[in-house]
Amino acid sequence: MPQPPRHNLPAEPNRFVGRDRDLDELCELLADTRVVTLCGVGGIGKTRLALRVAARLVPAYPAGVWLVELARIGHAEQIERELARVLGVREESGRPLLDTVAARLGDARCLLVLDNCEHLVDRCAEVSARLVAACRRLGILATSREPLRIAGELVWRVPPLDLPEPGPPRPGAPLAEAVRLFLDRAAAVGTRLGEESLADTVRLCRALDGLPLALELAAARTSMLSPGQIADRLDDRFSLLTTGGRTAPARQRTLLAAVEWSHDLLPAREQVLLRRLSVFAGAFDLDLAERVCAGPPLAPAEIVELLGGLVDKSLVQCDEDRRRYRLLETIKRFAAGRLADAGELDEVRDRHLGALCELQRGHFTTELVEPRVPWPRRLAALSAGRALVDDLRVALDWAVESRNVPLGLQLCFHSTGLLPVGGLTEIVGWAERLLALDLSGVPGWQVAQAKAYLAYGLEARDELERALRLAREAIDGLDGAGPYAMGVMHSLFVMVLLRLGRPEEALLHAQQGLELADAGDDPWNQASGLAGLSAVALVRGRLREAQRHGEEALRRAGEHGHRWIMARAATQLGAVAEARGDLMTAMSHYETAVPWLCELGSGVELARCLARGGRVAAMLHEFPAARERLGRSLALSRCTGQRQGVARCLVGLSVLAEAEGDLEGAVLTAAAAAGLREEIRQHSVSSRTEGLLARARGKLGDARTVALWARGRAMAPDEAARHVLDGAVTAGREGAAPAGDATVLPGAVPPAPQVTGAADEVLSPRAARSPSGVSAVGTVAAGMVGAVTALSAAGAGSPLTAREQEIAALLTRGLSNRAIAEELVISPATVARHIANIMDKLGHTSRAQIAVWAAEYLRVSA
Amino acid sequence: MGERIVMVDSGTGLGLTEGQLDARSAAASLQLRRRGVRAGDSVLVCLPVGPDLLVATDAVIAAGGVVWPVPPELDAPALRRRILASRARLMISDLPHAVDAADGSRVRMVVGVADLDAPHPDA
Repeated sequence: MPQPPRHNLPAEPNRFVGRDRDLDELCELLADTRVVTLCGVGGIGKTRLALRVAARLVPAYPAGVWLVELARIGHAEQIERELARVLGVREESGRPLLDTVAARLGDARCLLVLDNCEHLVDRCAEVSARLVAACRRLGILATSREPLRIAGELVWRVPPLDLPEPGPPRPGAPLAEAVRLFLDRAAAVGTRLGEESLADTVRLCRALDGLPLALELAAARTSMLSPGQIADRLDDRFSLLTTGGRTAPARQRTLLAAVEWSHDLLPAREQVLLRRLSVFAGAFDLDLAERVCAGPPLAPAEIVELLGGLVDKSLVQCDEDRRRYRLLETIKRFAAGRLADAGELDEVRDRHLGALCELQRGHFTTELVEPRVPWPRRLAALSAGRALVDDLRVALDWAVESRNVPLGLQLCFHSTGLLPVGGLTEIVGWAERLLALDLSGVPGWQVAQAKAYLAYGLEARDELERALRLAREAIDGLDGAGPYAMGVMHSLFVMVLLRLGRPEEALLHAQQGLELADAGDDPWNQASGLAGLSAVALVRGRLREAQRHGEEALRRAGEHGHRWIMARAATQLGAVAEARGDLMTAMSHYETAVPWLCELGSGVELARCLARGGRVAAMLHEFPAARERLGRSLALSRCTGQRQGVARCLVGLSVLAEAEGDLEGAVLTAAAAAGLREEIRQHSVSSRTEGLLARARGKLGDARTVALWARGRAMAPDEAARHVLDGAVTAGREGAAPAGDATVLPGAVPPAPQVTGAADEVLSPRAARSPSGVSAVGTVAAGMVGAVTALSAAGAGSPLTAREQEIAALLTRGLSNRAIAEELVISPATVARHIANIMDKLGHTSRAQIAVWAAEYLRVSA
Repeated sequence: MGERIVMVDSGTGLGLTEGQLDARSAAASLQLRRRGVRAGDSVLVCLPVGPDLLVATDAVIAAGGVVWPVPPELDAPALRRRILASRARLMISDLPHAVDAADGSRVRMVVGVADLDAPHPDA
């Protein structure tokens, strides 16, 4: 199985210049500081520094380094959603999302990089404080103009780049950081600056206060202007600015002047494009830029060239193959100000909303509605929709703000990236906000469809009664929404009604949905309707009918090609086979669905399918396979934060343990599952559990069974799971997978082989800095062992120098630095320095600890 | 031993004993090292005269740094000049006007007296 990625850091767009010592220090600080905030004005390079530090620390964080880009987010309440999205956590019903996120992070060693906190600083502070308190090995590296002001935060003020020493430049001296950055970026636009322009370059770097962004903007202009000319022009501008905004801090003024200067030099049409680009939340591509930013005076065809011009001037960043573009936060804010000044804000945001609506409708149609589309194209549409999530939020926000309910609702309907299929129930919140607005001008079918989507989201949150009520309200008005929406609605009814134990009503909806889909050319709803019929038949005990509908559903789903509906049909057939007692067939159906769900990247459904397969494999006595599936499923459920999924795995493990003859393990895991289900208020004492307990009482005796049940109830789910997952490594070692695979963590969390697990406690950024991260882990661990052994030997093997040993010995007598100094005829300051060195070497934190150590290991008596 | 008073705080009248000075400055030197102070680094110290100043000074020396004292009474421009001239990466101070004056300088971290006395996280 391929290793899941351990970070989501972007590739660096160009060379990182300078700050060597800062990088070293920050890496070391993060080893024992929980929260480090890089503070400083815009354009000083906080983000770039944070990303660089984070990239270097990847080997030190086995559970990953995760970047959360907050600049894309407009509302405080979206911070948790974005965090969950980045970490792959799905909302659980009835539990605050942040709790699920905290549970997912748990005790794993993980680094969160919260970039650009300033506009949401209060909520960022709350979230950080909560997570740091709940997750004892979590580190947070934040960037912000303002500190978070929480306990344990270390505020690290990002300085400007080093400037040359005052006075004329000395020949042969190493160039200052600011000059190096300027020359590097000038070279990137093809300007080679020789010795003769060095004095002007130095003057320019000083004028720009060593601010990296200002230097980059200036360097981008060196193909047209010499450094001297740029410095002169900037000087003029500074004198203008100082009369304007005297209150702003000096560096902020410098940056504003540099951005303004660079902007004012742009041709008028590039200025128009730049300000319009500020409406994008995240990265964008050319197509989106054309759709949103074209409009008088810009024609769509000229956007590509104008965009290229802005990239050349460093005002827009792009990746290497020029497919994704983005604005730096500082530039974006400036451009947004220009957009407002130009009076174009509403118009461009309207166009942004409209363009996204159109794009998403296209993606939605391709992914789901249109017949005979090959799967790769459907998948591409799904991925494209998901990639727009940041801009979707911004557009929906604008729809709410501008009270454009029709477009907002349309966008909701077509945003599968926000739907449960895509892993999020966020759609519920948006639909609710839109429905709370004035709906008088909104067509009835749109309101009905919005309610239908609301119901869909509620079902995913297990709010069944509410979902049913809303679906009833929706269905009558839904005629205008088209047959596809109606078909989806019927499938929803089937699902909700079955879950509520009302199969007769469900049957009617399944039939109606299928009729509708047969009439149109709609393979999705055909498959969905048939799968519904099969589910209803299964509940009513009509196994042959269930089988027939299930097979037909799978055939239709295959015609459609979407992996989600195919997996749905296959697992339905698996359930039917299980009910028949045909475990081999059931297993093979579940196994077919696994790669499909992997392709979709849908962790929750995949976890469910793996758990079913694992349970069936256990009943078939295919123990290694069962163990592997259940282990993967458990890891996935933990990663997505789904306690219900964890409980399901525990039940599967209980079946496995019993099949292996380990009644004790079977009771423990069943009890742990029951405990967990109670915690999430999902009461269901299954008949299987009762049977198991009866068998256990028969074999182990009443008292023993009761005691085991009580022990299992109190056990942490992981502990109980490990009991069975690891237990069999000793029981059936010859057939079992290697130890690493049998631990709780294969799957989405990187497997933790024994070496990493042990070394990770002592793994410091010092190790991370060595050229090859992985081997460094072993080296550090070995080094530590070495050091400890050395310490436990007597003074001879001690890491201290002779002088340090002497001082350590004197400390056992309780002498002050002055007294030690007199005794050794050295200065008290020297004594203090030796003591600092001893503490460093031994890892002690006070003089008293040295004294205790010396008394023991140097065999001195006080 | 170490009970000798080395300084009396003119405000509170409390004395700092030699033993206290040694213990506090040793712990503080560790905090400075942890924040990256290396041999030969300048460290700004901007504190009123008193026991804390003494502890900070001794800690900087013990950590291998060079003390760059800044009298807190200086006016803002003079403070700024001193801070810029030091090229220091770290400043020990609790005084808001000194912290403000460090804006845009090379100072990466401002450490308060409470931070210096803080127990090490591993302890």
